[in-house]
Amino acid sequence: MKRLIIALLAVPVLAGSAVSAHDEFRIIGTVASYKANVLAVKKKEGQTVSIRLDKQTLITKDKKKVVPADLTAGLTVVVDAYGDFEDDSLALEIRIVPPIAAR
Amino acid sequence: MDSTRTLFTAMAAALVVAAIVLVAFVMPAEYGIDPLGTGRALGLTAIASPGLAPVPPPQGDTLAPTPMGPVALYPGQYKFDAREIVLGPYEYVEFKYRLAEGATMLFAWSASSDVMHDFHGDRDGAPADAAQSYDAAPRRQADGSFTAPFTGIHGWYWENPGGDEVTISLHTAGFYSAAYRFNSNRTRDTHEVRALDAIPSDN
Repeated sequence: MKRLIIALLAVPVLAGSAVSAHDEFRIIGTVASYKANVLAVKKKEGQTVSIRLDKQTLITKDKKKVVPADLTAGLTVVVDAYGDFEDDSLALEIRIVPPIAAR
Repeated sequence: MDSTRTLFTAMAAALVVAAIVLVAFVMPAEYGIDPLGTGRALGLTAIASPGLAPVPPPQGDTLAPTPMGPVALYPGQYKFDAREIVLGPYEYVEFKYRLAEGATMLFAWSASSDVMHDFHGDRDGAPADAAQSYDAAPRRQADGSFTAPFTGIHGWYWENPGGDEVTISLHTAGFYSAAYRFNSNRTRDTHEVRALDAIPSDN
């Protein structure tokens, strides 16, 4: 009976953890670093955010697919990501674009 | 034997509870699928919709037309609006107006450079990913009229595909009650729209 109660309590808790809000973010900035599937992007406002990559993340340059190793520091990127927060979101698409002229 | 039976009973009960939780809570919250209506009742379907919380419809301000053959009468004044929207490199914006089903709007917009664009509408109460696109053909300017196919917010998505600023000029007039701007930095602004008496008369 004790197991039954524990199982009944555990299921909603585990299922509930899957319930979370997701937003889409566009992050524009320069690559600060890329290491272990995590891309750090410094935004024009000065804040640096970390974005996770997975196997489905599409990375392009001039509309051609490139590999994560091409995300070298200093490159300008436009990242469309998905998650609860901008920091620690999951990158859906990363575009390497020409540097943005300073104003 | 008793413990095995108890274990299987617990597993069966857990599966039933998991199925209920999945259908009643997880599916509405994660995927916007709400077969039991619990998601809508508990506000969980809003979690599934990416983007900002939906714009709440104003009370008693629908401006729904009364059709009379070629004429339609409205329970309020028509409004007009003029905007200059500056898009930074690779930024996007959505600018939308609240129109009731059947309400009309005239519009003219032009961009100083190439933009990606999608003229679309979001029905009141529908998930954000259920937007209906009216025109997404590549263009740098458009002049036209629009009749809302449903009550909700209707307007444009513009994206700057390049590294230079783009300015979009937008002029509209019609039977809308409010204007909203959704920015790529996850902010939303509500804009006042002007009534007819804001236009000085010629003598």
